[in-house]
This record gives sequence, structure tokens and C-alpha cells, in this order.
Amino acid sequence: MTLFIEDGAPVMVQGMTGHQGMVHTAHMMAAGTNILAGVNARKAGMTVDFDGPDGQTRHVPVYADCAAARQATRARTSVVFVPPRFAKDAMVEAIEAGITLIVVITEGIPVADTAYCVALARERGCRIVGPNCPGLMTMSDRPNGVGVDLGIIPQGIAGRGPLGLVSKSGTLTYQLMGELSSIGFTACLGIGGDPIVGTTMLEALQAFNRDPETKACVMIGEIGGSAEQEAAHWASTHMTKPIVAYIAGFTAPEGKQMGHAGAIISGGKGTAADKKEVLESVGIKVGTTPGETARLTRDLLREHAII
Amino acid sequence: MDLYEYQARQLLAEHGISQPRAVYASTAEEAGQAADIIGYPCMIKGQATIGHRGQAGAVKRAENHEQAVALAEAILPMNIDGHPVSGILVTEARNILHEYYLSISVDRTSRDYDVLATASGGTEVETIAREHPESVRRLHIGPLEDFDRQAARTMAERIGFYHADLEQAAQILLGMWHTFQDSDATLVEINPLAKVGDPDDEATKHLDALDAKISLDGNAAFRHDGWKRFTDPAQVDPLEAKAKAAGLHYVHLDGQVGVIGNGAGLVMSSLDAVAGSGHRQGLPIGPANFLDIGGGASPEVMRTSLDVVLSDPKVRSVMVNVYGGITSCQQVAQGILAAVDAEGEQDQNDDRPIVVRFDGNEAAEGLDLLTKAQQPRLKVARTMEEAADQAVALAAQAGKETGR
Repeated sequence: MTLFIEDGAPVMVQGMTGHQGMVHTAHMMAAGTNILAGVNARKAGMTVDFDGPDGQTRHVPVYADCAAARQATRARTSVVFVPPRFAKDAMVEAIEAGITLIVVITEGIPVADTAYCVALARERGCRIVGPNCPGLMTMSDRPNGVGVDLGIIPQGIAGRGPLGLVSKSGTLTYQLMGELSSIGFTACLGIGGDPIVGTTMLEALQAFNRDPETKACVMIGEIGGSAEQEAAHWASTHMTKPIVAYIAGFTAPEGKQMGHAGAIISGGKGTAADKKEVLESVGIKVGTTPGETARLTRDLLREHAII
Repeated sequence: MDLYEYQARQLLAEHGISQPRAVYASTAEEAGQAADIIGYPCMIKGQATIGHRGQAGAVKRAENHEQAVALAEAILPMNIDGHPVSGILVTEARNILHEYYLSISVDRTSRDYDVLATASGGTEVETIAREHPESVRRLHIGPLEDFDRQAARTMAERIGFYHADLEQAAQILLGMWHTFQDSDATLVEINPLAKVGDPDDEATKHLDALDAKISLDGNAAFRHDGWKRFTDPAQVDPLEAKAKAAGLHYVHLDGQVGVIGNGAGLVMSSLDAVAGSGHRQGLPIGPANFLDIGGGASPEVMRTSLDVVLSDPKVRSVMVNVYGGITSCQQVAQGILAAVDAEGEQDQNDDRPIVVRFDGNEAAEGLDLLTKAQQPRLKVARTMEEAADQAVALAAQAGKETGR
């Protein structure tokens, strides 16, 4: 079975012709992602050249909308780089075109817009990842396979292995991928730092739990909300695989937004200490630094004879 | 973005929600004049963007002019859990017959909107939920649904409003929902919504919003002209303002180690590493700030960041923690060197050390640049834990030398 997306699946990029879109489409293509279409109503008909992983030039056509891009390429996955004020329209367009996986990198989308799109996506059986996230990366289980890179997670940090990683933070994802590069991953999923996200920590754990190749999970949380606690409560009765966690923001003051829109302690709720306590109460070990989290993960893998 | 009560009142008034008359005052003298206009008795309410102002002693009743002035003088200098009182709202004092609680908020768990109400209002809703869970009524509004007059009326009935109050309560619930939607709020809370009036005269009885709390979604500012009408220049930390103008996420804390990194999670993690290291080494040292340079930062952004962090006089050392994804560590290094050079020209005595940890994109090239510069202020660490230990030890040492 495959996690989130099959190797080689066709992908479209909404906002490909913008600055961010160009930079990251180039990097996703170089990583081997099968990007077949860009979407931009004003630039429909043009073609953009990128280098593939083999160094060969790929010509990627730009379509007027997601429906046209889907019809021409059969892509049912989209990566979204459009600016916040256009993000709702872009997501709705993708959902209505029958896209089944939408990875939204854009930071700064109003929560009401996200709430609307997430509700619509769930009604139509579509999965949104993000917004305000680094995207997701799968590592191929085939020899010489390349996996799929959807978003901005840099290539080359870590390869295939038994771990599944879910995180609210981009750079902490890279940090832990780096610390655990000798072990490797089936997939790394950034769920995003906004108050409402399309794929929750709990849903990510469910996906990893169903995947036979994933043997253990690393969960990276931060202050704000209760996604970590909800995931932990579910895991305590359903998860068959061990989990190690890391929580950022023990020193964050109440009422201050720490970079991410969702990273805020309000009314004494959403503190790192509270999350740690709940996670530990169901037997999930929580590292105090990324380095310690990596050590705990190694210990756990040895304990379960996974490495 | 949390609004003051006087600002929240404006939004509720625009949606037809009845409230006592009020006048805003920024000095005690003005508060006295405002109280004369409102009449006695009146309420003297300190304005701060935090709950439990009553328990903190920032809300009092004045019977005459002298009392109003004296209370305002006592309340204006107050600071409630780090939230300074910025002014006084003088309002009519109401004869309260009963108190309700109503709120609408973003529910992060169910990913929709949560209407919460209870007929035993007045105190914090957490307390009510704990002591009278049976009195709490909840309703979820789906993001694809609407909350109409009929739904508002049904909710009002469930909360326990009756007779003449029912229509008004439904009207208020609807007004709150429209405030919530139109203003891109994440929270609209009325506590208490009070039944007020003369107990012996039915005609005087009605529902009034006696206090309100509204939080707005910062991400939606572009739809509301940046919420210029709600900005309060007097309350902005000058360093936070400087960073914001440069497009940086900066939060001022009260420690001695300036922290700069890329990505909100990594920066929070760096703050924790600094605090943890201070604790482990038995040193009274902690993080001075949160500063996220974001993704793909240019040398200029890094230079401005160091500038902001070093202009905090409490900062004795700086930890720079960058994991290059899109961000190039080489460019970050160029920014660090530019900032150190520029600062050296301005103040040759500034020798506050900067500990740098790079990993990822062009980390080796970045570290190479820093080493070749042979700047005694610049130190290099292999891991973020090591960087935190060094920065903490250096800050402690600087503190001893200067006696700070």
C-alpha cells in the first residue's frame, strides 16, 4: 500500500508561475515528482521548462483551471502556492475539479477560508494537507524509486526507513529528519501551524497505523490547540505502533502568537506542559530537545527490535 | 489580535446589540468628566486585553465625581498579568437581575464554530463549565451552514431565555454571529449578558451586554484595511514594532539570550533549549526574544534581525539557529557579517557574542564564511543544544563582568 500518494502519480501546481511556485516546482521536479501541469487563468497556454531528476528538460503546460489540467493530465493531486487572498478560490476550484489530495503551502490564509475549504473537502472525500505547512514527502519502497515530494521539504536529508513523521513545524521536521537520517522514513508529513488544518495529527497517525511499512512514529507538536492530546488519546487505544513525541514552546508566554497563527496559549490552554503531561499519561515519551527526541526514538526502535 | 472592551463594543453596536452608555477616557481627569456625563453611580473599567479584570481590581463602581477620579487614578497604572491598562471606560451602572454567558469561537478540534452559552454567567466560563457543566449549552455551526433567525431562537430557548427575553436573546445571538462573520473574528464573547432593570417594573427590563471580548484573525487583516481603526500605538513594544515593519515575527521576552532562527517551530525549540540550558547549568539566564526570519531569508533580513535583537539592552549574547531548507546558510552568514561590521562602526565597545549553528542548505559554506572573517564575537556550534549551552554560558559570563 502507499501512504497518501502513489509513486509517480501525476501532480499539478496551482500558482506554479509565481516566484515561490517556480522555485519549488523546480525542486519538486528535480526530486522526481511527476509534475505535469501548472494552473493559472491568466497564463493558460504557456509552457514552463524545468529540469527533471535525470537532467532532461521537461515542458510543463499551464492550464486555465484545475478541471482543464485534470482532464489533460489525469492529475488528481495539487500543490498550492497561491497568495493568501486567492487561496480559498484556488482550493474550492481544486475540490470542484475532483482533486483528491490538495497540499497547501501558503501561509497567512484567514481561518474562516480554511474552515470552509476543509469542510467542503471532507464532504467531497478530498484530503487537504496544510495550510501553512512544508507539505509531504514519501520515500519510495522500490529499488531506485524516487518517492514523491509535494511542497518544500528539501531533498537529501533522509531516505527510506521504518519511521513515519508528522509535524506542525517545517524546520523541526528537517531537524528531526536530519537527526534520524541513519534510520529513515516511509513518509514525512507537515500538517501546518494554523488553527484549522485539513489533515490533523490524529489523521496522520491513523494513516501511519494502516501502513504496514511504517513501524514507529515521530510526532512533533507545539503550543496551541489540542491536536497532540487528541492524537494521543486516540493512539492510546488504537495505535499498534510506538510513538515518540517532541513539543516546542515550553517558554512561550500566554497570549502571544509565536510565529504560527495557531501557536498561541489562550486562557491557559494549549501549553506545552499540558501536552507533555497528556502524552506521557498514555505512555508516549516526550523529548525535551530534538536531539533527545532522536535518542528516545532510537531507544524505542531497539526496544521493539525494529533496528 | 485581541480587542479592548471599548473596541469590541463598537463592533457589537454596529450589529445592533444593546449595551449601557459609555465614554472612553485616557486620563483620570477625563474619567471624572466622563463620569459626570454618564451620571452616578457609574462603572470605572480599566481597559486591558485580558480577562478577569474584575478580580484584578480594575473594574469598580463610583458613586460620585471624586470617587470616579480616585478610582481611575488607581486603575490607570495597573498591569494585569503583563497586560497594561491603556485607558478607562466609564459606563452606566446597571441594576443586574440575572447574568448569562454567550460566546462564538473557532473550534480547532471540530474544525467549525462553537456557540457556547449558559444561564449562569458572570464569572469565567471555565469556572462555570467546571462547577455547573449541566448549565452549559453548545451548538456547532458548520462552515458550510448558516446560523439563521430560527436557529438563534432555538438556541435561545435551550439556554433558558423565556417570554419577552426570548426574541431579544435570539436577536443578540444573531448579531454576535454577524459580528463574528463580518469581522473575521476568532472569538466573540459577551460576559455577562445581563437582564437589567427595575425589579418592580417589567417595562424597564431588558438584556444588555455588560462586557465583551473579541479576538480578530490576524490573517484576515487584508480584508479589513489592516484593522487600522483598532491599532493602539501606545501599547506596541518598540522592538516588536521595528521587527514587524521589517516583516519579521518577533516576540519580546525578558531573558538575556537573543534568539534568531528560521521557522516558528525551530525558534520555539531554540527558546526552550536556552531556558533548559540555563536551568541545567544553574544559571539565571533565559531567552530574550523569539525571532523567526522565515523561509528563504536574504542577507538583508538576517542583518535587520540581528539589529533588532541587539537593540534590546538586556541581551548579552545571541544564538542563531538555522536549518537551511529554502534558506541558504551562506546568505544568512553574509547577513550576520554585515550586521557585525555595521554595528562595529557604530559602537566599538559592543562585543556581545553571537553563537551560530547552521545545518542543511549551504551550511558548510556559511560556516566557512564566518570562520574566515575571524571576528572574535562570532562563535560556531555543531548542534543546537551546544549553541544554547555556549550562548547561555557567555551571557552569564558577560553578566558577571558588567555586574548586570
